[in-house]
Amino acid sequence: MEAILTDCVQNSLRHFMFGNAIFLCERLCAESPTEVNLQLLAACYLQNNQAYSAYCILKGKQTAQSRYLFAISCFQMDLLNEAETALCPAHEPGGEIPNGAAGHYLLGLIYRYTDRTKNAIHHFRLALSIDPLLWAAYEELCVLGAAEDAAVVFGEAAALCIQKQYLHHGIASPNVHTSNEDYNLVSSQNFGSEEVSPRQLKHTQGNNLRDIPGSYRGAAVVSGAASQPQNGVVPNMSFYNTPSPMALQLSGVAPPPLCRNMQPNGSNLNTVNTDGSPRSVVNSTIQAPRRKFVDEGKFRKISGRLFSDSGPRRSTRLGRDAGANINANISTVAGNGTNGSSKYLGSSKLSSVALRTVTVRKGLSWVNENIEEGIRNEAFDDSRANMASMTSSSFPSGDVRSLDQDGATVPVGGIFFSGSKVISGASEVLGLLRSLGEGYRLSCLYRCQDALDTYLRLPHRHYNTSWVLSQVGKAHFELVDYLEADRAFSLARRVTPYSLEGMDIYSTVLYHLKEDMKLSYLAQELTSTDRLAPQSWCAVGNCYSLQKDHETALKIFKRAVQLNSRFAYAHTLCGHEYVSLADFENGIKSYQNALRIDSRHYNAWYGIGMIFLRQEKFEFSEHHFGMAFQINPRSSVIMSYLGTALHALKKSEDAIKIMNRAILADRKNPLPMYQKANILMSLEKFDDALEVLEELKEHAPRESSVYALMGKIYKRQNMHEKAMLHFGIALDLKPSATDVAIIKAAIEKLHVPDELEDNL
Amino acid sequence: MATESSESEEEGKITGGNQHLIVEDDLREMGKKAAWSVSSCKTGNGVSSLRDDNLETYWQSDGAQPHLVNIQFQKKVKLQLVVLYVDFKLDESYTPSKISIRAGDGFHNLKEIKTVELVKPTGWVYLSLSGNDPRETFVNTFMLQIAVLSNHLNGRDTHVRQIKVYGPRPNPIPHQPFQFTSREFITYSTVR
Repeated sequence: MEAILTDCVQNSLRHFMFGNAIFLCERLCAESPTEVNLQLLAACYLQNNQAYSAYCILKGKQTAQSRYLFAISCFQMDLLNEAETALCPAHEPGGEIPNGAAGHYLLGLIYRYTDRTKNAIHHFRLALSIDPLLWAAYEELCVLGAAEDAAVVFGEAAALCIQKQYLHHGIASPNVHTSNEDYNLVSSQNFGSEEVSPRQLKHTQGNNLRDIPGSYRGAAVVSGAASQPQNGVVPNMSFYNTPSPMALQLSGVAPPPLCRNMQPNGSNLNTVNTDGSPRSVVNSTIQAPRRKFVDEGKFRKISGRLFSDSGPRRSTRLGRDAGANINANISTVAGNGTNGSSKYLGSSKLSSVALRTVTVRKGLSWVNENIEEGIRNEAFDDSRANMASMTSSSFPSGDVRSLDQDGATVPVGGIFFSGSKVISGASEVLGLLRSLGEGYRLSCLYRCQDALDTYLRLPHRHYNTSWVLSQVGKAHFELVDYLEADRAFSLARRVTPYSLEGMDIYSTVLYHLKEDMKLSYLAQELTSTDRLAPQSWCAVGNCYSLQKDHETALKIFKRAVQLNSRFAYAHTLCGHEYVSLADFENGIKSYQNALRIDSRHYNAWYGIGMIFLRQEKFEFSEHHFGMAFQINPRSSVIMSYLGTALHALKKSEDAIKIMNRAILADRKNPLPMYQKANILMSLEKFDDALEVLEELKEHAPRESSVYALMGKIYKRQNMHEKAMLHFGIALDLKPSATDVAIIKAAIEKLHVPDELEDNL
Repeated sequence: MATESSESEEEGKITGGNQHLIVEDDLREMGKKAAWSVSSCKTGNGVSSLRDDNLETYWQSDGAQPHLVNIQFQKKVKLQLVVLYVDFKLDESYTPSKISIRAGDGFHNLKEIKTVELVKPTGWVYLSLSGNDPRETFVNTFMLQIAVLSNHLNGRDTHVRQIKVYGPRPNPIPHQPFQFTSREFITYSTVR
């Protein structure tokens, strides 16, 4: 009865029928409250967004898997302390972190959100070393500013790891679909090169499998671990994306899969899957919640990209002709033209991911479809990740059914790889991840031009995905090149209209460009796509702010904060609105909230600096602008404000130096030139100031403040006609009411030079 | 600042009124930062009805003329425009007719800055506080007092449905002598 119930639960989860799954699972637990069943129930709850239920049932359980699930529930409920103790019990300081890379990643997130950055970095690095394809960990490292070069991270060691993983899987999988010989060869090669301890291999296998496809959403692949025991069986079936028993292994549950997976086909498959499914559920669960904090769109794109690209290509090729094609493919895929497996070993982690997907694809195109489906499903929703994994776990059965008519095939819980395929795939994946990782790292360090160059080196099909395009847009935005950013973002929207990644930045770009039509259209589209995403509300708020309705904008940004209090940009935007409403105290609080979440968010540093500038606390203001400048040394706007603050502190020489740098950094930006003229004027270097202003006139011929300032300078120099002329032009250009008053007053006072000039 | 010159008969009369409240972009409503009080009111029609953005509710005075609305700020602010919503068709004899606007530091030194006569107004009535002199575009003051001196048809008490007070927007960029007007400047002038 237990088995049947478990199977039903798995089935329901696979079909996203959470209510059914929960009900049946509760009966299962009542029938036999073993820990495995409880874990399955927790997984059901987590998929149904009932983290609190999962929390309650898993409280106090000590097996590694339970601890991991418990930690996930705590994390979702924001109980970071408990999550931490669960993953890393205080009385067991050297204890094993459950679930290897996934556990380290979760622990890293916990440390990050509790401000223990060093520990966070340490754990993310560990997670990456265990599972080189754990992109999310690398991303977090970039955000924290502590990422190593992508080439190193996604380099040789990673390729080795992945190969080992697949090797195990491959060996496990009984029937090589296409090239047995290749596989054997490769596997032996792989084994030969194996340096990683079996344990790590297990980890990587499990993690990789778990991570890669769904990668982003706990995609099913996981089956790999299951295949471990089946060494020597000729891999055949391949595409088993049964959730890897990895988690189970780690949690000390005996790896059952292999034996079960050995069942040939048809009806047994269900049971097989069932057996495997709890694991898959578990795995996906594990992965899914984690993903919550990673941007959906990014993963969707990446996974979509990886899968769509490598899949059909490989599957068609491979499907056609086993041996020859495979080898050919491998070499072409690897792209290096070298044939030695060692070559592939050297390739980056990216290729390993690609490999995985590729190998998955190899063989059966329909399997590919399933996988893609699974992955796409994952992309939809965190809660569905588990379903996806469930779906993927159904692959093996499908595969077995269709492929293994001989019965000799063993549905390996895992993707089947021939060793050479693994290598080439690994190298592809690693290559891709390397470019993306490098680009992301550079853009987090605000070396935006370099990041742009890195992204441009991506193959066209990868470049045209919304994640990459959003990153490109973001890079242009940081370089204060709003037009290019606009272009990149609108392209991203055309490619994937449902993606929300980076759309908050896009709305800011449109805000800067004062494109209210486009901005309101964007806001409408985003809110209709996803009403619960903070990015949509950021766009709406920017819309209102552009209309100068700051109170409504503030309300809306607060709503964005409520939706996801870990979204730093929403806090910063709240701060901006508070400042527009002249509520400086709350403004500073909002900016500090943003900084607490992400201390490298230079907009918040800039915001606080502006508040202090307004309040004339110039030292503080200089300090904060300095911090912003350190983080993003390329922004000409920050440089010019830093210069203003320095000038206010009477360090005018430094101020002028910074202004010159700002002018050089971005010729399109008129602000530094204007500020420079201001400074020169107050230093009484009128001619220099006028020179700068004349140049500025060329850049922005319709700017009233330029003429007004020139008029002011001429007035100081007692050149009344010129002053009059410029004031007149300034007035013609329709300045604001305050300025009209000032200018008119200045005109009146023109011919009364000995009168004490208070405001001019 | 007493602008007696602008009190001539022709300039002082305002008729009609706008149905829609349209104010320039570079003005912002300052009333939220002020303390509002009235000289007298009927229960249920108090000062909050003046600020509730609801044209159905109104303030009704309940005492001797002149009826006063006092707007007190915590610091000196620049004000440029006062807008009232009054409707002769709805309020008839309760509609204000003569209105005087005074400004000063407090109750002790208010000086009249504008007087205006309304003739059957039906909507938003704009009362600009600017003088003729460009230096007098704004009234820089701690306190504003709107006094209803008399009503239509010699009514004793008055109804006012909404009052808004506008002043200039501050320069979004601190320590700048002038505000930016062109798009290139504004685009690059801040980090968001």
